[in-house]
Amino acid sequence: MDVKTLTKMTKWMESTDLEEITWRSGDDKISLKLNNNPEHNTTIASTMEPVLSPSIGIFRFARPGKTNHLKEGSSVKAGFELGVVEVGKDFKSVTAPSNGLLKIISIEEGKPVEYGQPLFFIEPK
Amino acid sequence: MFKKVLIANRGEIAVRVIRTLREMGVGSVAVYSEADRSSLHVRLADEAVCIGPAMARESYLSIPAIISAALVTGADAIHPGYGFLSENADFSAACRDNGITFIGPSPKSIQQLGHKAEARKMAVKAGIPVTPGTKDCVYKDAAAQAAKIGYPIMIKAAAGGGGKGIRIVREASQLANEMNMAQSESKAAFGNGDVYFEKYIELPRHIEVQFARDSHGHTIAFPERDCSIQRRHQKLVEESPSPAVGKKLRDSLEEAAVKLAEAANYVGVGTVEFLLTQTGEFYFMEVNTRLQVEHPVTEFITGFDLVREQLLAASGEKLSYTAGHSVPYRGHAIEHRVNAEDFTRNFAPSVGRVEEWLVPGGPGVRVDTHVYAGYNLPVYYDSMLAKLIVWAPDRASAVARSRRALVDFKVKGVHTTIDAHKLIIESPDFQAGKTDTGFMERLLAPAEPVKA
Repeated sequence: MDVKTLTKMTKWMESTDLEEITWRSGDDKISLKLNNNPEHNTTIASTMEPVLSPSIGIFRFARPGKTNHLKEGSSVKAGFELGVVEVGKDFKSVTAPSNGLLKIISIEEGKPVEYGQPLFFIEPK
Repeated sequence: MFKKVLIANRGEIAVRVIRTLREMGVGSVAVYSEADRSSLHVRLADEAVCIGPAMARESYLSIPAIISAALVTGADAIHPGYGFLSENADFSAACRDNGITFIGPSPKSIQQLGHKAEARKMAVKAGIPVTPGTKDCVYKDAAAQAAKIGYPIMIKAAAGGGGKGIRIVREASQLANEMNMAQSESKAAFGNGDVYFEKYIELPRHIEVQFARDSHGHTIAFPERDCSIQRRHQKLVEESPSPAVGKKLRDSLEEAAVKLAEAANYVGVGTVEFLLTQTGEFYFMEVNTRLQVEHPVTEFITGFDLVREQLLAASGEKLSYTAGHSVPYRGHAIEHRVNAEDFTRNFAPSVGRVEEWLVPGGPGVRVDTHVYAGYNLPVYYDSMLAKLIVWAPDRASAVARSRRALVDFKVKGVHTTIDAHKLIIESPDFQAGKTDTGFMERLLAPAEPVKA
C-alpha cells in the first residue's frame, strides 16, 4: 500500500467513529488504530525539558537582596538555581534539572504560580 | 460578608460549600492536588489552583500551601470542610496570622473542645452529665472504686486511644485479674501502666446535637441526629430526629448543647456527641468543632443552610435565626453514605472508573456528590462517593422514600455500598427504629449478604 492511500484511509477513518481497522490482501496486512484518548494525545514530542514549580506561591527570579540575570538562550548547569517560589516565609528552590540551553522563560517576576506549573523549558546538551 | 472564600477541601463537601457561596454571591476558590485535576469541585468553583501532589500531606494537609493559595488568589476567608485541617488549631491560627478568616471556631475553642479530657471538664462545669467513672487514675482500692461506678465497667489506659487498651469487666470477681492484664498491656503498648475506670454502656445509641453560635451571643441547638448505625466506628446511616428521643429528652439534649457552646464562648457551628443508654440517660462524649458529614439531615428538617450560618458567624454577622435557642422542624430525614466499597467482601475498597452514574431525584431527595459518569476514583483519599439524603413528613414515609431512591441509584464500574443500605432499610429493627451501635454487626452476622 502506498503512502497516498494510507493517508487517505487515515483521513477517512478520522471522519468516522471507528477506532481500529485491519486491511488484508494476500500476505499483506495492515492495521490502523486511532488514538482518541485525550490523555495520550496531550503528549507532545519535544526534546525540551520543562522545569515545574515545586509549590504554589509567588515566583521570584532571585532570593531577596540578590539578582539573577537569566536570558533565553543562556546555558545553564544542572542544579543551577533558576529562581525561587515564595511560600509564606519560605523559599522553595527552582533548579535546572540538567545541563543545557535555557530555551523558554514562561514566567514573570512576582507572578503567582501553581504546583506543577511549567516555569522554564531547557534543551539538554 | 466575605468577597471570596477558599475551600481547603475536596470531594462532595467542597462542592457543597461552593453551592452556598454561589447562592450568597461570594466568590469561590477551589484547591486541588494533582490527583484531583478532573474532580467536580475544580470545575464548579470560580477559580481553582493546584496546591501539590496527590499525597494529602503535601497538598490538602499542607498549611503553607493552602495559606499561600489564599494569598495569591486574594481570598479573605477559608472554609476547611470536614476532615483534613478542619479541626487543626495551628491552621486556624495560621489563617488568623495571615489576615485570613478561618470559617470555624478560634484556635482556643478547637484546643479546648478538641482535647477530650479538657472538653469533659468543661462539660462537668456546665452541668452536663458525663459517663460515670473515676476522676483520676486508679492505683488502690480498685474494688471499692469499681463498685461505686457499678458494673459493667471499662478499664481504660490513660495513655491509650483508638480503642486500644480497653478491657470490659462485668463482675467484681474478674476485676483483679483484668486489672493486672490491662496494666501490663498498657505498659507494653504505651510505656505507661496507668489506668482509669469508666462505666461501660451496653449497646448505646449515638446521639448528637448540632449547634450554632454567633459573636453576638445568639445560640441555636438543632433537633438531635441519631448516628447509631455504624460499622467499625464509621457512620453509615444518620437520621433526624431520633426515633428514641421524645420532646422532653430533646429539650434536655438541646439545653446541654447550648450550655456547652456558651461555656466555651464558641463562635461557629459545632456538634456535641452523646451516648444514649437503652433506658434513656444520656452522657456527654465529645465535641466536633467542624461541619459534619451528616449535616444535611438537619438542613432537611429545619430548612436551615448550615454553611450559610457558618459564613454569617465567621464574618461577625448574626445567625439567620435569633428568636430563641430551639428551632422548629418538620418531618423526618435519613442520610445514606454511599461509599466505593464492596460490602459482600467485608467492605473492601473499590477503585476504578465510574462508567455509569445515575442519581435519584424527585420529591424529598437530595444527593451531595462530586462524582460523575467517567470519573476516575483517586486511590489517595476516603472512599465516599455520595450522600443520599431523603426527607418525608414522617419516618415510615422517609423509609419508603429511601427504598425508592436506593433502587433509582445506578452505578457501574465500581462497587458501592448501595446494596448494604437496601439491606439496612429492609431490616425490621431499622423500620421499627430499634437501632444501636451494635446494629450493623447483628445485621451482617447471621446470613450471607444478598447478592446484588
